[in-house]
Amino acid sequence: MEKPIIELKQITKRYDDGFTALENINMTIEPGKFYSLLGPSGSGKTTILRIIAGFTDASEGEVWFEGKKINALPANQRKVNTVFQNYALFPHMDVFDNVAFGLTLKKMPKKEIRERVVNALKVVQLPGYANREISELSGGQQQRVAIARAIVNEPKVLLLDEPLSALDMKLRKDMQYELRELQQRLKITFIFVTHDQEEALAMSDEIFVMNDGKVLQSGTPVDIYDEPINHFVANFIGESNILPGKMVQDFEVQFVGKSFECADAGMRPNEKVEVVLRPEDLDITTPEQGKLVVKVDTQLFRGDHFEIVAYDDDENEWLIHSTNPVKDGKQIGLTFEPEDIHVMRFGEKETDFDARLEQYEEE
Amino acid sequence: MKKVKVSSIYLILVFVLLYAPIFYLIFFSFNQGGDMNQFTGFTWEHYATLFADQRMIQIVLNTLLLALLSSLVATLVGTFGALGIAARKQKRLRSTFLTLNNVLMVSPDVIIGASFLILFTSLGISLGFGSVLISHIAFSIPIVVLLVLPKVNELDPALLNAAQDLGATRWQTFSRVIVPFITPGIFSGFFMAFTYSLDDFAVTFFVTGNGFATLAVEIYSRARQGISLEINALSAVMFVFALVLVVGYYFIDQYSRTRRQKRKNHQKAGVMIP
Repeated sequence: MEKPIIELKQITKRYDDGFTALENINMTIEPGKFYSLLGPSGSGKTTILRIIAGFTDASEGEVWFEGKKINALPANQRKVNTVFQNYALFPHMDVFDNVAFGLTLKKMPKKEIRERVVNALKVVQLPGYANREISELSGGQQQRVAIARAIVNEPKVLLLDEPLSALDMKLRKDMQYELRELQQRLKITFIFVTHDQEEALAMSDEIFVMNDGKVLQSGTPVDIYDEPINHFVANFIGESNILPGKMVQDFEVQFVGKSFECADAGMRPNEKVEVVLRPEDLDITTPEQGKLVVKVDTQLFRGDHFEIVAYDDDENEWLIHSTNPVKDGKQIGLTFEPEDIHVMRFGEKETDFDARLEQYEEE
Repeated sequence: MKKVKVSSIYLILVFVLLYAPIFYLIFFSFNQGGDMNQFTGFTWEHYATLFADQRMIQIVLNTLLLALLSSLVATLVGTFGALGIAARKQKRLRSTFLTLNNVLMVSPDVIIGASFLILFTSLGISLGFGSVLISHIAFSIPIVVLLVLPKVNELDPALLNAAQDLGATRWQTFSRVIVPFITPGIFSGFFMAFTYSLDDFAVTFFVTGNGFATLAVEIYSRARQGISLEINALSAVMFVFALVLVVGYYFIDQYSRTRRQKRKNHQKAGVMIP
């Protein structure tokens, strides 16, 4: 493991009115990676960003940057730069002066400023826009100027606070590619705040899923998608069928009144659990061959797949993604592999969860 | 169609009513007769007396100097006042300050003038240029606060964070982001304070001493002694002066706007080529 560039140690943020925005946050950020803080609004992700940038003080806990504690270091001396949600470009300056702002404060020679600004504008694909007024730019262009203004200072870490949320769908997709590409080219650490799970999954090396001021789970997008720790994460990341069940023994789980072979273990016998099945892991077959039999209720054409809603005999709703359409009202069979079943314990902490996963995966 | 006509007649009527007294005054400034009863013939005589009147010219200069100084100081104090009010975190404290500010705006000049007179005499401050300057600064500050505050409130706190984030100290944030952003408010505050000071009669009348008079006070005392057409001539000169200022401002504004527009078009054309 590389030496961490930022460490948050037991960070808690409480406001004067008693509201706790963050509770015991621990985070280790390694250099050169793309991190996402993912969670619904009000989950505290922007507060973490503000604490790292130095706009807000943590009530408790320590912020470390490159092996030094920086709690008392003012924002203007931290080697991080921020891309703000509403871009926060200076309206009384043109594009050049906005991008050059940080460099002029450092009293850099004019010629070098010019070179670096032109270069930064090239990186964000806005060459020749230097003398535009901010008010003349579209949302997407303002976004790029904000990124150029941050990266021109060559920060070690770039903090991005929902920078894509104001853009339309198409532009957002384009910018996702560009941001990811930019991060890999510049080899800067990105910490990206978003409430859009698709965005986080697509771009990140590592995701921190947050809710109510706590980090619920952290890991690679694939880990989090395949093995969500609890109901909230499973529901928030991607679409899922979540059912109550019972762990009969290791590698055997019971739900909708039947027993299935599964890939999870390390729980008490007959422990009550929740079972996650992703809609794309369910394959449609004949009722005779299916492990489950459901009746199709409605289906929607989503372009690349059909989204089918079906009900079993116990009135449990099933969401299925299929490349082929089915007939409404028809009985169909569903099959899935043991690995497609993911079992979640109630109230399990992330450390325990990871330890359990490691334990039975080694066996 | 008919509605448009009625409204334009109304507009014309309003402007005639507003401007008629001024033009009437200017018209008689060229009167040979010496009073405003009957126009007997054209003359420049009153203008000649006006420009030969050393005392009057001195008073005009005094008035301008007073307006300039008082509005400059008031702009400085008022701008920081507005920043201070906006920086209050509790809403109640903020609105209390704002209300206290507004009370000064609406309280009658006579009251302000009288209270200043009492203050100066009880403190033993001699009445004259100094006392008038202090009171003009005092009644101009609330005006500046009122005109700067909306601009300060418009300032997005994220802009200040952004400046800090890019390495700006508190002073640099203030001088490079806050001040340029609220400059339009500061300018309108300054000009408003300037015209209020030029205009003021009541407050000045109370706190001015023997040796010092502003234009308003002087015209009042002369008008009381009987109308001299020199006043008419002075009014005409000042009216033309104000007119030139307004028209000049209009053309400067137009010029800078078209230049900006031109530069914009230029750039767009330049960008579209590759």
